[in-house]
Amino acid sequence: MPRPYETVIIFDSTLEDSQVQEKIQRLSSLVAPNGGESVKVDVWGKRKLAYPIDKKEQGIYAVLRYETEPSALTEFERIMRLDEQVLRQLTVVDPIVPTPSPARAPRPVEESEA
Amino acid sequence: MNHHSRRKTCHFCENKVAIDYKDEHLLDRFTNDRGKILPRRVSGTCASHQRQLSQAVKRGRYLALISYIPDHQR
Repeated sequence: MPRPYETVIIFDSTLEDSQVQEKIQRLSSLVAPNGGESVKVDVWGKRKLAYPIDKKEQGIYAVLRYETEPSALTEFERIMRLDEQVLRQLTVVDPIVPTPSPARAPRPVEESEA
Repeated sequence: MNHHSRRKTCHFCENKVAIDYKDEHLLDRFTNDRGKILPRRVSGTCASHQRQLSQAVKRGRYLALISYIPDHQR
C-alpha cells in the first residue's frame, strides 16, 4: 500500500535553476509513475545554512511530497546519497493533519490570575 | 502582590497548530540561545507535543535550518 511521504533535499547552491529542476525531475520519476507527475514540488530557493555542510554556507532547498510504495524509497535514497550535489536529504512519512479527537481536546484554561 | 504565576499552557494545544520541522521560527522559539530544547517546565508544552517538538528540532538541526551549536560557541 502506498504511503504519503515528504522529502526535503538540500542541493549545492552552485547549481543553476535548470539543473535543480532536472535533478528533481529525475528523482521524482523514481517514486512516482509517468516521470513523477504526481509529485508536488516546492523549491524554496537559495538559503543560508545554519552551519556549514561540506564547507558550504548556502544550499538550495526543495520539498517533495508524494505517495509511493515504501520499497521505492531504498533506491530513491541511494541515488541521492551518491549525488555529491545533494548536501542533505531527509524523507519522513508525511504528517497528514489528523482530525483531533474529542478526547484529545486541551484542558480548559484556568483563569486564576487573581 | 501575589506570587501566583499564570498557569502555563501548551502552545500547540492552545492554538491547535501542528508542529512542523520545516518552520525554523517555531523551532527557534522552543530552543534556548545555546540551541538546546527548552524543558517542558519552561515552555509549558504538554508531554505529547514535547515529544513531537523534540523530534522536529532534531530534524531541523539535521537540515541546517537551526544550528546544533550557536556560531559564537563553535
